[in-house]
Amino acid sequence: MEKRIDARGLACPKPVILAKKAAEECQKGDVVIVDVDNEIAAANLRKLAASIHGEYAVKQLTQKHYEIRILLSEEGGKAAGETAENLDLLSCQVPQKKETTVVVISSEKMGEGDETLGKMLMKSFLYALTQLDKLPDTILFYNGGAHLICEDSPALEDIRALESAGVEILTCGTCLNHYKIADRLAVGTATNMYAIADIQMKADKIIQP
Amino acid sequence: MREKVLKLVVAFPDTTDAMAAEKYYQKLGMPGRLIPLPAAVSAGCGLAWCADREEKPRFEALIPQAPFAVEGIYEVLLYERR
Repeated sequence: MEKRIDARGLACPKPVILAKKAAEECQKGDVVIVDVDNEIAAANLRKLAASIHGEYAVKQLTQKHYEIRILLSEEGGKAAGETAENLDLLSCQVPQKKETTVVVISSEKMGEGDETLGKMLMKSFLYALTQLDKLPDTILFYNGGAHLICEDSPALEDIRALESAGVEILTCGTCLNHYKIADRLAVGTATNMYAIADIQMKADKIIQP
Repeated sequence: MREKVLKLVVAFPDTTDAMAAEKYYQKLGMPGRLIPLPAAVSAGCGLAWCADREEKPRFEALIPQAPFAVEGIYEVLLYERR
């Protein structure tokens, strides 16, 4: 059975209280679906799901619409009843201004020295980015780094994963033309030097491996 | 959408073994890829082979004949695109 709650527009911790109440009325195997309009509410519902041993999934439908699914793995009433004190732990604070992080990839290699190792390290670095809880906002590829974004690149799978997770992928168009690989750009879009300069100027943090 | 799933991680004593393993596994058509060694396995630095956990028996079976050393086989929660 599925139980849906539209908690958009409700102040914290109301979405969690409603979800908890719904969980109490559900059986093992039921799904509680909660619609919320902010990231904090989604995070609080994740904490609720963890505390009642429910399986949690979130899908962002629009910028202000998150659909949370909680699959109950225990009888709702019993499990949710234990969470009353956990509600105190929920954070209702509005996040501060989001810090923007930009990663700059200007070479196929990471560091100086052995070329094979350098390429492997760069491949590892891009994979490691996919494993971060907080992803960068933008990755800029230029000069030799532009090769990594083209067809047959060993890092393509990871760059695609980052893009699908919401990371903006931009590559220097001049560099693509210089290396004659513009027709092989496989992820993201080509950009120009004004955008590259502007994005770095506005970034709170720039990471260049 | 990405989520954490349990993945199989084959760890090696050093980077040379990891690079040899990549060549060997790719030659045999084994599934997976080289990744940086997850911190959950070791605080140290290094490379590891990552594949779906269902593949564990195949990787275990290859250990005796593999031309490189295997430090251990783990199951680790890693982000994956869905």
